[in-house]
Amino acid sequence: MSVSNLLANWSQFRQAHPTEGDFHKEYKWAMAIDLDACTGCNACSVACYAENNIPVVGKDRYARGHAMHWMRVERYWDEDNRDMPDQGAQFLPMMCQQCEAAPCETVCPAGATNHTPDGLNSQIYNRCVGSRYCSANCPFKVRYFNWWDFPKEENVFADPLPLQLNPDVTVRTKGVMEKCTFCVQRLTVAKHNARNEGRLVQEGEVQTACQQSCPTNAISFGNMVDPESRVGKQWKAQQVDLAADKQVKDAGDESHEVGEHHSGTQLRGYRIFEELRAYPSVMYLERVRESAV
Amino acid sequence: MRHILRLSILLIGLFASSASFSADTLPPVNTADDLGPQVDQPIEFPHNRHAKDMGINCMYCHTYARRAPVAGIPPLQKCMGCHNGIESVKDKPRIKELFKHWEEKKPIAWKKVHDLPDYVRFNHERHVKRFIVQQDKPVQEVCGYCHGDVKEGTVARRQKPLSMGWCVSCHEKAHPTDKTAQATAQGPNDCWQCHK
Ligand code: SF4
Ligand code: SF4
Repeated sequence: MSVSNLLANWSQFRQAHPTEGDFHKEYKWAMAIDLDACTGCNACSVACYAENNIPVVGKDRYARGHAMHWMRVERYWDEDNRDMPDQGAQFLPMMCQQCEAAPCETVCPAGATNHTPDGLNSQIYNRCVGSRYCSANCPFKVRYFNWWDFPKEENVFADPLPLQLNPDVTVRTKGVMEKCTFCVQRLTVAKHNARNEGRLVQEGEVQTACQQSCPTNAISFGNMVDPESRVGKQWKAQQVDLAADKQVKDAGDESHEVGEHHSGTQLRGYRIFEELRAYPSVMYLERVRESAV
Repeated sequence: MRHILRLSILLIGLFASSASFSADTLPPVNTADDLGPQVDQPIEFPHNRHAKDMGINCMYCHTYARRAPVAGIPPLQKCMGCHNGIESVKDKPRIKELFKHWEEKKPIAWKKVHDLPDYVRFNHERHVKRFIVQQDKPVQEVCGYCHGDVKEGTVARRQKPLSMGWCVSCHEKAHPTDKTAQATAQGPNDCWQCHK
């Protein structure tokens, strides 16, 4: 890197808006998760472990906050001051929301986390210096720091487990930040195949591991630029706009009590912490239940 | 005033560090056969005889290059396919060794010469499609972009740096997308194309 190189694009450093130029020309990967269908079975989480070579840290380290599950299923009890509500718990699968204006990217001192033209939030493990600024700045707390040199010091992938490691994903070592990638290794393969045939990736051609293993089909994933995509249709049907920090459909909704179902519309789609202007790429569909008797 | 002082110290530091950085990381222009370490193969394989004298297409043996991310090392059976029928060299020491492996049903443990780090994703197929199929360039030239002049050597030896800066130096150029050279396009430059 010469000095002129360093200064040439200085003014553009992290200034380009994700929706400008080449961004989202061919692909914009997005997700929709139907909380009404989610039963909290954790199949997605297990699939994610298997797909992405995530080590299992164990109870002790978990208690110390050294957890490393890229996909976690959060549990919420129904309120109403009851310990064991008749209606059971609510579940919410939570992983990296692949924010369009990701707060984690702007604070990385090494530029190890970046935005891709496909609208993904990339994480380059061998560039990460482990400062953990990104994790501090992520409103969703979905970045996990690798505190242990698992493959070397501790045999978490004991024989014959290495045979099931995914060769398309690095086995991360100590001192790097890791997180959900929307299974970028699968996206890359699909894009290569499509390009070889001179076309774009079609709907249904690529699935994330969590989507593939979900028994109730709660997770849908795809290319929002493609008008045929299920996920794009869902976003549209729920009137959720990727580039908005306050959805038009929610205007005039202030009169509603918190937690009350939007009675006027039948729309269930929302994004978490939308007002923080991170523009997440994951839409959740609210759970609908009769109120408890 | 203090601000200006601080800023100038910062800038001097920045310039000094970037200047020393540039001195360290200038990519070597040298493409001679002396960059990679010598890799001792179980049988010394003469690439020069096969690729230059016989003019065999690289992809005849490295057959996966055109349809998979990895190019692959040919199985012993591939060698035997030809050498079974070539009487003239059957008593040469290397070929005798080859037949010994064949009769003992033992594969040859070729060693890796071009070994990219675990965190790098490289796809042979895409590069072959781009340059050989779409642009109709000669095979040995295209393979040589990264593997050097293999037909001049015996066992293959790494000749190019295969560093990130070296890869990017090509991806930054606009290459024609077909033989008629109407349209051009760059290689992809976002991190997740090559990193995993
Ligand atoms: S969810 Fe967190 S880690 Fe993912 S892109 Fe947004 S800020 Fe970054
Ligand atoms: S998209 Fe892939 S990496 Fe992300 S939670 Fe699902 S399985 Fe895990």
